[in-house]
Amino acid sequence: MVKQSAARPSMTKTPIIKQPLRLLMDFDAQIQRDGHQTSDFIHRRDRKFALHCEEHNSPSDPAHWLAWLGRFDNGSEQLAGTGQSTEQRWQRINSGFIALGAVLGIITMAGLLFYDGGQRINVTVIIGFVALQLLLALLTSLQSVMGWQPWRPLLNRFMPASDPALQPLQPALMARATQGGGLSFAVAALLTLLAMVVTQDLAFGWSTTLNTAASGYHQLTSALATPWTWLWPSAVPDPALVEATRFFRAGTNTALTPARWGQWWPFVSMLWLMWVVLPRLLLRLLASALVRLRTRKLLLCHPGLRALRERMATSVLDTGAGHNDADDLPDTRHNTLLQPLPEKAQLLSWAGAGSVTEEQTLPAALAAICPGQALNVGGLASLSQDQQAIAQLAVSSDAVTAIMLVRSWEPPTGELLDFLDSARHNWPANSRVFLLPLAAETRNPSNTAKDRQLQPWLRFAERCPPGFVTVGDITVNTGLPQS
Amino acid sequence: MNQAPVFAVVGHPNKGKSSIVATLSQNDAIAIALEPGTTRRSHAYPLQVDGQVLYTLVDTPGFQRPRRVLEWLEAHSVSASDRAATVAAFATQHRGNLQFSDECELLAPLIDGAGIIYVVDGSVPYSPQHEAEMTILRWTGRPSLALINSIGDEDYGDTWQAALGQFFQIVRKFDAVRAPFEQHLSLLRAFGQLEPAWEKPLETATGFLDRQRQQRKQQAATLMAQTLQQMMGYRHSRSLAENLAASASSHNKGALASELRKSWYQHQRQREHQLRGDIQQLYQHRQLQRQEAELEWQSEHDLFSEDSSQLWGVNKGYLAGVGFGAGAVGGVGIDALTFGASFGTGALIGGIIGAAGSYFYGDRLPLPTLKIGPLRDGVKTASFGPVPDTQFGYVVLGRALSHWWHVSDRNHAGRAPLALGTPDSHWLDSLSKQHRNTLHRALEKARKGKAADLSDQHKLGQVITHAMKAYNEWQLKNM
Repeated sequence: MVKQSAARPSMTKTPIIKQPLRLLMDFDAQIQRDGHQTSDFIHRRDRKFALHCEEHNSPSDPAHWLAWLGRFDNGSEQLAGTGQSTEQRWQRINSGFIALGAVLGIITMAGLLFYDGGQRINVTVIIGFVALQLLLALLTSLQSVMGWQPWRPLLNRFMPASDPALQPLQPALMARATQGGGLSFAVAALLTLLAMVVTQDLAFGWSTTLNTAASGYHQLTSALATPWTWLWPSAVPDPALVEATRFFRAGTNTALTPARWGQWWPFVSMLWLMWVVLPRLLLRLLASALVRLRTRKLLLCHPGLRALRERMATSVLDTGAGHNDADDLPDTRHNTLLQPLPEKAQLLSWAGAGSVTEEQTLPAALAAICPGQALNVGGLASLSQDQQAIAQLAVSSDAVTAIMLVRSWEPPTGELLDFLDSARHNWPANSRVFLLPLAAETRNPSNTAKDRQLQPWLRFAERCPPGFVTVGDITVNTGLPQS
Repeated sequence: MNQAPVFAVVGHPNKGKSSIVATLSQNDAIAIALEPGTTRRSHAYPLQVDGQVLYTLVDTPGFQRPRRVLEWLEAHSVSASDRAATVAAFATQHRGNLQFSDECELLAPLIDGAGIIYVVDGSVPYSPQHEAEMTILRWTGRPSLALINSIGDEDYGDTWQAALGQFFQIVRKFDAVRAPFEQHLSLLRAFGQLEPAWEKPLETATGFLDRQRQQRKQQAATLMAQTLQQMMGYRHSRSLAENLAASASSHNKGALASELRKSWYQHQRQREHQLRGDIQQLYQHRQLQRQEAELEWQSEHDLFSEDSSQLWGVNKGYLAGVGFGAGAVGGVGIDALTFGASFGTGALIGGIIGAAGSYFYGDRLPLPTLKIGPLRDGVKTASFGPVPDTQFGYVVLGRALSHWWHVSDRNHAGRAPLALGTPDSHWLDSLSKQHRNTLHRALEKARKGKAADLSDQHKLGQVITHAMKAYNEWQLKNM
């Protein structure tokens, strides 16, 4: 247990984000951050998450993915994500609209109900204002559905450019904020109305320049009052009230008892509640639902989510490419040069060099230097045959000078080194071995310094005891062409 | 639980064992040199899927003293049945012995149950001189496969194949540097044929490798789409103080345009350079050195050079044709429009179009011009970019496709610098008319896009996937 906690000291339980907007923004921000990571890393990370989910039978949705990624972020409160800041910004905007709506609601209703005792409060004006409010509320929702943003340039001056992921949501978010403001306006206005009804003696009446009969006006008010007729019958103006409360700017209506002027207030209150507050409330709820719906849709259609699912479903393949020893190369420098061949020498053939095919013969010049038969050593010859050849040459002369034919394309091995070492110990002092690497194609000695196959032989000669082994140059003695 | 198969890549020194391992393990950081003894220690390269090993390749040093090893083995063996045990005894006996360190290193995985992958060089003549090492390998009793690698230009593969067939269960030719990816998979499947229990893991592994290659292609397309979007929509801006903006003489304007253009060019070159690095990393070519000169102005291979414009650009006629989707113009073929080659249509129509084509051909790459915005808050903004049409996009895309193709086609045993060739026809020839129109629309959108939109990027990536396929077909046709 101690070991486990020591291995993962900073891992915390990160809450799962439930708010769609915050989730979308955090997800988008994480995808943008991943753009700076290597594809290998994010694949490994996300595949590991998928395997973890599979093992623990837990959901692998974006919310859990973000929680998994943030499990090491201690003090996540300080490291507020993009989603949180976006959400907070929109909360501030919403609050601003609500506050503004409340203030304007109070002022507007106070203005509408302004009564100085000299004239009536015109119910027709209130009905017109209610119609305007309803129209504005519907227009707000309509423009959000259509994605029309006429206020965008104005907003750009006050707000920083929003995240590209947020742009498709902007109309819906704005509609939610304005509907919220509208609702606040409507509620504040209604409360103001009720407060004024309680605290003042308001005199309502109706008036219009149009040649409208009281019965027509009654029809209009009855139609408007239809929704609450069953609920509050007294809030529906009767024909007598409508007939009695018409007023004209030019005349006076003294026949009416003053109490009748105030009987309009239930209708006005219900009119406001039913046609301003309720539509705003419904449209505000609709706007919220639209924001949630669009946010979820945006998240589901996010190209980053598609890529994430691909990464989660794809196994991580490690081909063993991590090992790096590219710089651990052998030293390929050499200071040795080709040496001219001796005038007379014994001929040795290492691992079949010089006998590639029977049709080809060694250069005539070499035959002149080495008149004897070549002794076969290495390759198919046994180790005892190698020793016999060494012994045979050791008794033939005081100092052995030998030319050893080798295949330039078969690099020098430990066995050749062993053979030369044994020869050096068995042969008299001042003995020398000239290695003569043959080319693969023509069997002519491959002795030009440009030949890459010659380089390992020169380095090999350099590693042998000094003076004993050199790489021979047949062209010096024979005048053979260099190529 | 069955253990994942292990394959020890063994052979004479300097026959390309490390090259085989580098290519199959997609590791270009394995030391490879034409020097015997470059590999001094065995190293295992496991292929893991989600942490589970499917098979392991072991790179080993070459045989140094096979005759002496065989002499020891023969001296300590009584009958054929004790040979494998004798080989194990040899390794135990000579552990720490410097003389046989290479042999002990290469025999260790075989003693532990690895399969034998014996590598020879098929570009040099066959000789029976290596019989000692082949005999030692046979003594281990492990399943074996011989691989004829070609280091040089000559080809003695057939003689090697005939000779090795007598010693090994399976003999395959495989050029570690040039073999296409399909051959890598085929070779790995052949490894699975060595023992029945190995077939399934190798089949699974090749399936994963194949899928990985497809995914890399998708990822490369996404990287290209991102780059195209950013490069085509890139605007280099600079704020000008009011007094500087007011006194902007034509001389000052020229200097300002030159300065902004230089920065714009530099940014575009760096972005292209970054894409190349990303593609190389995607294909695990971390050590790759490109032969292309560092992207500098006036260099032959520069992004803005005449050479790039001619090789990868399209002319106005093509742009008009593809823009309107005009069947008649598109049907003539880009090759005709761009390079003035034969048309294959009526002489009259051909003549008219040819005249138009030659008029359009030779247009320089249209580049943005300096724009100075209106005074706002006491500051004017001078800007350069984005590009005025999609021509630049075709140049960037052509160069990116060329680089991608060379990188994705390159084996990890390759150590030569990457050579980006110069083709003699246009790759768009191989792209269908429908995809040309889609590509054009996507490039047009990338040019106009003010911000990098992920959805547009995804669509552009899909079109680029088709372009990659067309480019591959075109390259194979040219080869």
